[in-house]
Amino acid sequence: MDTTSTIPVTSARANWPRWLLLAGRLILGGVFIYAGYAKLREPWMLFAFSINSYQILPESIVSILARTLPWFELLLGVVIVSGVALRWTAAAASGLFILFSAAMLRAYVKNLSIDCGCFGYGEKLGPLRFTFEGALLALALGVTIGAFLMRRRKT
Amino acid sequence: MRRKSSRWIAGLAVACAAMLIAFAGSLSAAKNAAQVKPTHVDLAAEKSLGTRSAPVTLDVYSDFQCPSCRLFFLTATTPLMNDYVASGKVYLVHHDFPLPMHAHSAEAAKWANAAAEIGKFREVETALYTKQDTWGATGKIDDALDNVLTPTEMKRVRGLLDSPEVTASIQHDEDLAKAKGLSGTPSIFITHKGQTVQIPAQGATYALVKQYIDYLLTQ
Repeated sequence: MDTTSTIPVTSARANWPRWLLLAGRLILGGVFIYAGYAKLREPWMLFAFSINSYQILPESIVSILARTLPWFELLLGVVIVSGVALRWTAAAASGLFILFSAAMLRAYVKNLSIDCGCFGYGEKLGPLRFTFEGALLALALGVTIGAFLMRRRKT
Repeated sequence: MRRKSSRWIAGLAVACAAMLIAFAGSLSAAKNAAQVKPTHVDLAAEKSLGTRSAPVTLDVYSDFQCPSCRLFFLTATTPLMNDYVASGKVYLVHHDFPLPMHAHSAEAAKWANAAAEIGKFREVETALYTKQDTWGATGKIDDALDNVLTPTEMKRVRGLLDSPEVTASIQHDEDLAKAKGLSGTPSIFITHKGQTVQIPAQGATYALVKQYIDYLLTQ
């Protein structure tokens, strides 16, 4: 009697990494879907102003990026939520967050008056934004590592 | 017969008196009008360009000594004036927001506003930005305006530098900037159909601003 009652508890305990990965995957994918959607509901020029304010890319590339990046974010978010090729999509998300964070840090150090452009127009760069960005990077890295570990466990 | 003619004379006298009163009244009104001084509201109109009813309004909070403001003025505002303001599509509004970090920008704002009082704002604004390096280093703002103001105009503008209207005009713009929580220049706002968007100054090139305005005009 005792044995039968402990089986589900043990099974749930053994499955917690899976549930944690699922939760992380849903949050990470949701963040990307929202980021893409927030940019797509505004004219692309507003996002172009934001990208251009970082003063990293030439204007011709800024225009292309402003039109395509939101769709890429939306697609990446959907694929992450679906769980297909999670190791690689989560790695791509981590790479994007590293790039975004580096660009933001550079702008902050150079004291550029920029618009973050992370979730649509009008977001100023500041300590709160860096904290949030750091948390998202940690989440993306966590999901990536988790996805790789889970794969190893299966094989 | 005599009674009839006296009535005519009385009528004529009343008409003459009425005309005299009206004439005196109009003279007095003209005198009063000549005495009316421009207010900061009038100066705001002098500092704006285009028609107020234009579909797009571009508000620029600027500091004459700020290098980014100079760059935006020379590379974006000037072509905008030719391409959009002249055709009535954009109403361009200049707001003064002299920053304390620049030693001579408050003085430059005074010169620009005083010039606005005599209808010479645009010329002085262009000269201030074009020769920013020179007067920014020396503080000799009047030297930079030699080519755009005649000696008489220069004397008039100098006399208006500390006028209450000039002070009120700059203060009004600064209050607007503070109410918007601005801390830097240039701060650029684009308004269309009642919706205002602040665009990041560092990213606001003419090509992008133009594309955005073209987009708004199709909406």
